Amino acid sequence: MLWLKNAYVVDPIQGVSGVRDVVTRDGRILLLGRNIPADRLADGGEMEVVDCTGKYLFPGFVDAHVHLREPGQENKEDIASGSRAAVRGGVTSLICMANTEPVIDNQALVELVVRRGRQTGLARIYPLAAATKGLRGEELTEMAELQECGAVGFSDDGRGIQNGEIMRLALEYAKITGCPIVSHCEDAALAGQGVMRRGRAAAARGLAGIPATAESVMAARDVLLAGETGGRLHLAHVSTRGTLAALRAGKAAGWDITAEVNPHHLILTDEDVPLTNSSFKVNPPLPSAEDRESLLKALADGTIDMLATDHAPHTWEEKARPFAEAPFGMTALETALPAIWTYLVRPGLLSVERLVEAFARRPAERFALRAGTLRPGAAADMVLFDPDYEETVSAERMASKSANTPFLGRTLRGFPIKTWVEGRLVFER
Amino acid sequence: MNWRRKDLLDLEVLSADEIRLVLDTAVSMKEVLARPVKKLPTLRGKAVSTLFYEPSTRTRLSFETAAKILGADTASLAVAQSSVSKGESLLDTAKTLAAMQVDLVVIRHASAGAPHFLAENLSLSVINAGDGQHAHPTQALLDIFSMREKWGDVAGRKILVVGDILHSRVARSNAVGLSKLGAEVVLVGPPTLLPPEMDYLGVRLAYDFDRELKGADAVMMLRLQLERQRSGLFPSLREYNRLYGLTQERLARLGPDGVVLHPGPINRGVEIMSAAADDARSLIETQVTNGVAVRMALIYLLIGGGTADVVA
Repeated sequence: MLWLKNAYVVDPIQGVSGVRDVVTRDGRILLLGRNIPADRLADGGEMEVVDCTGKYLFPGFVDAHVHLREPGQENKEDIASGSRAAVRGGVTSLICMANTEPVIDNQALVELVVRRGRQTGLARIYPLAAATKGLRGEELTEMAELQECGAVGFSDDGRGIQNGEIMRLALEYAKITGCPIVSHCEDAALAGQGVMRRGRAAAARGLAGIPATAESVMAARDVLLAGETGGRLHLAHVSTRGTLAALRAGKAAGWDITAEVNPHHLILTDEDVPLTNSSFKVNPPLPSAEDRESLLKALADGTIDMLATDHAPHTWEEKARPFAEAPFGMTALETALPAIWTYLVRPGLLSVERLVEAFARRPAERFALRAGTLRPGAAADMVLFDPDYEETVSAERMASKSANTPFLGRTLRGFPIKTWVEGRLVFER
Repeated sequence: MNWRRKDLLDLEVLSADEIRLVLDTAVSMKEVLARPVKKLPTLRGKAVSTLFYEPSTRTRLSFETAAKILGADTASLAVAQSSVSKGESLLDTAKTLAAMQVDLVVIRHASAGAPHFLAENLSLSVINAGDGQHAHPTQALLDIFSMREKWGDVAGRKILVVGDILHSRVARSNAVGLSKLGAEVVLVGPPTLLPPEMDYLGVRLAYDFDRELKGADAVMMLRLQLERQRSGLFPSLREYNRLYGLTQERLARLGPDGVVLHPGPINRGVEIMSAAADDARSLIETQVTNGVAVRMALIYLLIGGGTADVVA
C-alpha cells in the first residue's frame, strides 16, 4: 500500500483541486480524501508513506500523439526507450503512430507494438493503426480486425490523406470500430517544398514557406466530411486560425470532432526559428505569433480538447544538416510537461486544472483508455510533480535515444519527481 | 575602423560603417586590378578553398581570381567530383578542409543557412557565396560598389530590383545593404513572385514596373529561372517580358545618370533585351570586374591584416 499525504491533487473528473491524501492498494486507487485517519487503513498490509507537502499529485498524463519509431527506425527510438522517456516526463499512457518502417497497417505489427509495450512495463502503449495501407492514401486498412488486436484509432499521420473520397470512406468505415480517425491535415500541393511557416520569418531566412492554408484547407474538408458522414474525427496537431475556425464550426454543429495541440505550438513561434538549428523544424511548422495566441485561447476555452506532444525523435546525424535538408520533428515526451509548466502555467496562461483535463482526462476519454483520473478504483497511474524543481535540458539526461528538442540547454522549472504505473514506482528524479 | 569579423555570412549583421569599410578597401583593390602585374604578396602562404554545392563558374572564378591576386593558394571542391556525392555530410566535408589547414572557405549551397552552419562549427573563416534563397552578400556588395563608383554615394537614390524576388538571394541582400546605406529600394515583380511577406525588408513592394520607373536611378534586373513558368508562377515568358522586361523604351525613362545592373548570367530577350544589356548605361561588365575587387577586399579583411590600408 502507498499513502501519499498532503498532496495538492488535481483531478477534473472528480472536480478535485486541493490538498488531499491518496491511498493505493494492489495497483489501484483505494481512497482519496482530506486527512485520512490512520485507523481506516488498519490491516491493509505494509504501508509506504510519502510526504507530498508542497507537491502536486496528478493522474498520469496521457499523450495522444507519439512516434516510437519501432519497428524499423530503432536508431531514433524504440518502444523501450520511448517508454522510459514517457514516464520520465510524467506520461503513463501514450498513443503511438503508425508511420514506422514497415507501416503499422496489419494485425501482426499492431500486436507487436502492444506486446513490446507490455514487456517494457513502463508507460501503457496504445497503437494507432494506419488508416490506409502503407500510408499511401489509396485503400483502407482492415480496421475492424486491427481494433481487435489493440489499435485505438486510425491515422496516416506523417502525411495528409490527399484524396477526399478516401478520407470520407475512412470516416464511414471506422464507424464499425467506434474509434476516431486521426487526421494529419496537410495539403501536399500547398505545402510544396516548404520547411517552416510561410510568413516574414521564413522570407527573412530565405526558407521556403508552408502556408497556414496547407493545414486549414484540409482541416475544413475533414470537418465537413465528419459532418456529412457522422464519423468520428480527431484533428492532430492543430496550428492555425483557419483550422480553429473550421473546428469551431464543426463543434457548433454538434459533429463528433476533437482536436489536439502540441506544446511547442503554444510556446514558440516562427520568429524563434534559428537558421542553423533544425531542432526547431517541425511539421506543422511553428506558428505565427497571432496563431499562437489563438491556439492558447482555444485550448483554454475548450475548442481544442487536448494537449499531445507529437514526440518525433530523429538522430543527431539526421538533424545536423542545413535546415531545409533535416527531417521534420522534435522530441517532447521528457520536456513537454516542464515546458508547459514553465512557459504557460507559471505565467498564468493555462490553469493547472485545464492542464490536467487536456493532458490526461480528455485524451483518455476520446480514445477510450482506462486512464486520466485518480478516482477510487482506477489504476494507480500517478505523477508527483514538484513545481519548483529546476533542471537544464541536456542530451545526456534524456532517456529518449534522440535529443532534437528546441528546449535543449534551457533551464525549465517544474518537473515530475516520481511516476507510478499501476502503483509501481517507474521513475524517480 | 578595423574589421573584427571571422566570417561574412550576410549583410544583416553588418553596420553601415562595416559595409563602407569593405567598399573602401575594394577601391584600393580595384587599382591593383588595373596594374599590368596583378599580384600581391599579401596573403602568401594562406589557403582559400571554394566549396560549391551549386553549379557556378562565374562566382567561383571571381573568388579564385581574387584570392590568387592576393597571393593565396586556392583549391576548389566541386560537388560532382568530390566525396559529397558519396554521401559525406556538409559538416564532415568542412572538417576535412579544416584539417588541411585551410584559412578560408567560400561556400555556395542550395540550403539557406549552410554557410552559417559551417561558421558555427569551424574556427576558420567562411564567406557565403550564396545560400539558397537567403543571402548573397558578396553580390550585393559588388552591386553597391558599382553604383557607388558611378554616383559617389547611394544614399537618397531610388533603386528598383525587378523580377523573381521570392526566390532571389540577390534581391534580399541588396535590399538589406542598400537600405543600410540610405538608398530607397523598391522590389518589383508579379504578385506570385513578390509575396507580401517580403515587406519584412522594410522596403516598398510594387507590381507596376512602369510606374516605378519614374525617378528611378538604377534598375537591377534579376535572372528569371525558366522552370518557374512550369511551376505555374507566371503564365508565359511573353507576358513576363511585356510587364517586367527591361526594354530600351523603359531604359530611356531612367534618371539622367541612371544605370542598369544584372547579377548574370543574363537571359537576353527574357528579363532584359539585348539593346538594354549592351547600352552605355549598363554596368553588367563593370559588375564582373568589381566583383573581383570586392572579393579581394573581403578575403583580405577576413584573413589578412584586418585594416583597410592594404596596397601601401
